[in-house]
Amino acid sequence: MSASSRQALTLQRGRRDFLVRSTSAVLAAGALGIPRASRAAEPVNIGALYPTTGSFAQIGQGCVNAAKLAVQMVNDAGGIKSQGGAKLNLIVSDVQSDTTVTRTETDRLISGNKLSAIHGCFASALTLIASEVAERAKVPLLTGSSSDQLNKGRHYTFTPFARASQFAQAQLQMAKLVSELPKVAVLFENTAFGTSTSNGLREQAAGEGAEIVLFEPYSAGLTDASPLINKVKSSGANMLFPVSYLNDLILIIRGIKQVDLKIAVNGGSGGFVIPDFYKNVGDLAEGLLGVAHWNHDINTDAQRVNAVFQKQYGEFLFEYAGGLVAQTFMIADALERAGSADPEKVRDAIAALDVSQGYAAMCPGGRVKFGPDGKNIYAHPVGVQWQHADLATVFPKEDARASLIKI
Amino acid sequence: MLVTVAQAVVNGLLIGGIYALVSIGVTLIFGVVKIVNFAQGEFVMIGMYISYFLATYLGIDPLASLIVAMPLLFVVGVLLQHFLIRRVLGLGDMPQIFLTFALSLLLINVTLLLFTANYRTVQTSYTETSIHLGEVYVPVAKLIAFIVAMVLSGALWVFLHATDLGKAMRAAAQNPDVAMLMGINPDRVFCVAVGVSLALAGAAGCLLMPFYPAYPLVGQVFVLMAFVAVVFGTLGNVTGALIASLMMGVAESLGVQFVGADSGLIVVFMMLLLTLAFRPSGLFGGWTR
Amino acid sequence: MRLRRGTLWLGGLIVIVLALPLIVTSHFAIDIFIRVLLFAFIGVAWNLMGGYAKQLSLGHAAYFGLGAYTSTILLIRFDVSPWIGMLAGGIVATLASLPIGALCFRLRGPYFAISTIATAQVLMLLFLKFRDFAWGAEGTTMPNLGNAPLMMQFDAKSAYYYIALGMLALGLVITYAIERSWMGYYLVAVGEDEDAAEAIGVNAMRIKRQIYMISAFLTGMAGTFYVQYIYFIDPQTAFSFNISVEAALVSIVGGIGTLWGPVVGTVLLEATSALLQSWFGSSHGGVQLTVYSLILITVILWRPSGLLGVFTDAYERVVHAGRAHAREPTLDG
Repeated sequence: MSASSRQALTLQRGRRDFLVRSTSAVLAAGALGIPRASRAAEPVNIGALYPTTGSFAQIGQGCVNAAKLAVQMVNDAGGIKSQGGAKLNLIVSDVQSDTTVTRTETDRLISGNKLSAIHGCFASALTLIASEVAERAKVPLLTGSSSDQLNKGRHYTFTPFARASQFAQAQLQMAKLVSELPKVAVLFENTAFGTSTSNGLREQAAGEGAEIVLFEPYSAGLTDASPLINKVKSSGANMLFPVSYLNDLILIIRGIKQVDLKIAVNGGSGGFVIPDFYKNVGDLAEGLLGVAHWNHDINTDAQRVNAVFQKQYGEFLFEYAGGLVAQTFMIADALERAGSADPEKVRDAIAALDVSQGYAAMCPGGRVKFGPDGKNIYAHPVGVQWQHADLATVFPKEDARASLIKI
Repeated sequence: MLVTVAQAVVNGLLIGGIYALVSIGVTLIFGVVKIVNFAQGEFVMIGMYISYFLATYLGIDPLASLIVAMPLLFVVGVLLQHFLIRRVLGLGDMPQIFLTFALSLLLINVTLLLFTANYRTVQTSYTETSIHLGEVYVPVAKLIAFIVAMVLSGALWVFLHATDLGKAMRAAAQNPDVAMLMGINPDRVFCVAVGVSLALAGAAGCLLMPFYPAYPLVGQVFVLMAFVAVVFGTLGNVTGALIASLMMGVAESLGVQFVGADSGLIVVFMMLLLTLAFRPSGLFGGWTR
Repeated sequence: MRLRRGTLWLGGLIVIVLALPLIVTSHFAIDIFIRVLLFAFIGVAWNLMGGYAKQLSLGHAAYFGLGAYTSTILLIRFDVSPWIGMLAGGIVATLASLPIGALCFRLRGPYFAISTIATAQVLMLLFLKFRDFAWGAEGTTMPNLGNAPLMMQFDAKSAYYYIALGMLALGLVITYAIERSWMGYYLVAVGEDEDAAEAIGVNAMRIKRQIYMISAFLTGMAGTFYVQYIYFIDPQTAFSFNISVEAALVSIVGGIGTLWGPVVGTVLLEATSALLQSWFGSSHGGVQLTVYSLILITVILWRPSGLLGVFTDAYERVVHAGRAHAREPTLDG
């Protein structure tokens, strides 16, 4: 192997080491409960559960970075004033993209620390498990995960952002921006992520005036996307909704180009709206549509946080990571009103949350108020489009920050 | 409709070429050394990463990286046979199965450790271009992969049938004891077999890189189809593996078009199970060729 | 004299193991113990097939998943207690082992292994599709019943520990009984050389079928326990290939075809995993499986009969250190 590739590998290893070490440092700091330059009050512990290793590692690491940034922002602004300026103390735990680990780590996090609240975990299956554990341990959990199951029969789980069914509706409505009579092809991977999203699409299509001409589940991990593309082509669709993980998305997007298929694409959320997508697909991404529960241009607060994040990490603040910054401020707001770090009181304060300004309201529509089932009654997704290597919000009209580029 | 079918057939053949490279490697090792290499896909993955790093840091086109990857993996294959595989031959099923299985696990996870789970892609001038055969699109990158795969398969066939070493290999495969009596050194033959097999896997990796993302588990994706092709084409039969691979590629493509994409995998597994159970000698019967 | 000492050791071990949750209170530690007990149990179940009968299955997750889904469907759709569900799950798994065995036992060696992998995968794919009855790809969480011992839900983690311990004890007792019975002899005969065994009148197919049924039953029980413990089920978790792998791994590393082999293997591998976790902060970045696979390769090349042999040899050497007479060289290594 040549010197420069060895160097590159060392750089990679170095960066990984740094990440491991800094995560351990945070864990250690958390475990020791080192207070942050505060003389007066005990710090308040918040837990963060994300997959920083395993298949979701990249996104998980981005989330952890955002979580740390958010806590820093809260503390720099004076911490929790009603509790004597108490600082937030972030305790991060890696759920390793694994269900069993999520179960044991959530438990360990809760039983090993006095937590006032938790946020996590990005992947639906992991979040479901974490919320079960939190529910039984009576610790409030905030999450950006869209699975509708998270709002069923729970008192301690709160979802400030759009639900899976709303994403589907938004995608369908956006289809009408591109064509009068949308003929939609839905390609989806056949596990949880793909099935839940695509079912939402199927249920709502007719109601939104879109016709589904192809509804095709497939097994994730394609050797070749061309058979699927061929099928899309022969279906006569003018709009494609792929619900896939990044590796398949890359093949699908390239496959479309390879056969000169003129079709609009709405890739939904998840792997479609992260910087890595553009890195791998290049300018093929230009003009592609997606949906997100948060984007970095929805208001000035979001733009401000994004600027800081981008300077520190070199990439824009993506959907899930930005959302959890808002969640941190929601927790801080609840702590202010609760006047206590007791998870039960914090839970009640979160349930009574009603904000329309500040970082706690940094979401599409700019308002957060939870209904009895833990859903934010004002939550809705936004439609985004890749424009000039960045994600711009283009839908709905009230939230659009850029105009839709017709390709 | 005709165009759709023609496109589907073309798509199937092109990817079938890649399946062929992987399955020929598996069947060659099985035919000669008599063990199933569960780690074959991981050598495809290694080929992809070699190609990726050469392309990204030295600007070398993935196709040119064949010149590096193939000899490198040949040497790895020789070492693998001589130091590891040789030690478990004749020891029974458990060591033979689990050695290559453990190797597969090891390679996947070391790659994960070193390079994380992130997808690595390479952009070449021909990644998205296609040539036209009437209304049928033939993506250039895949066409090149197919042609090279066929050339390599052809070269292997010539090697096995027209060279002394190749003939020795076939002899050792058919009857190791007699071969030894005739002065053929089995270990040497095995080393070459494993070396060639891994070189073919590495070639598959390089050929995939222009249009396929690399990540630690990528080998697992291709190895499944390859195994099925190996079984259909009769274990140990190189030509059989080639033909079966192309057939499977086309069957998969037509299946997606006219049946359904996710039923495909179930059907593939069921075909594998039924073939193993009722016609384990595959479509071509007989022995090593 | 030796026999009594062995019994003493065993007795001491039992006391410690029973008292462990009372001494150790850290949730994290108890989680590790539960994991060890559970996977040792699955390993014991696997070992009956893979160790004694030498049928190397890499698809035991099929039975794990069937057990898990049976009890979950009974619980959520029919309000049946998971205790009954566990038995029902075992029975379903056993019934499934019949057609699967009929198909796969036609094959030997690696082809058997491949066919078992394929069966588990087919089941996973089927359950991904079954939305209406079995929640499909999204899976489901267990209903929150609070502390409900009759429904296998406990606030106290130690309860799960004792259940897992009970299952492991069951598995060990069954293995011990089989080892010393006529079935045990036939099993080993079939495992060593199936054709020779047939030649002397052993009905190999019947033996394989019977041991497969027992192995499947136990694995199915483990599946129920697991989903009750993590409060969640979905096809990818229930039919996970990793479970199939670990079932085989702990037995091979510990001592394939021995009573305590799977237990030794699990303790070793889990201890390694815990160590790695404390050094690297996580085991899922590839560290754990890298080390596991290196251990497996080492065992295969150096001590294919498993590491239990290493420990018993060392014990012998220590105990007989004083004796002057020459000892026979071991056959291993």
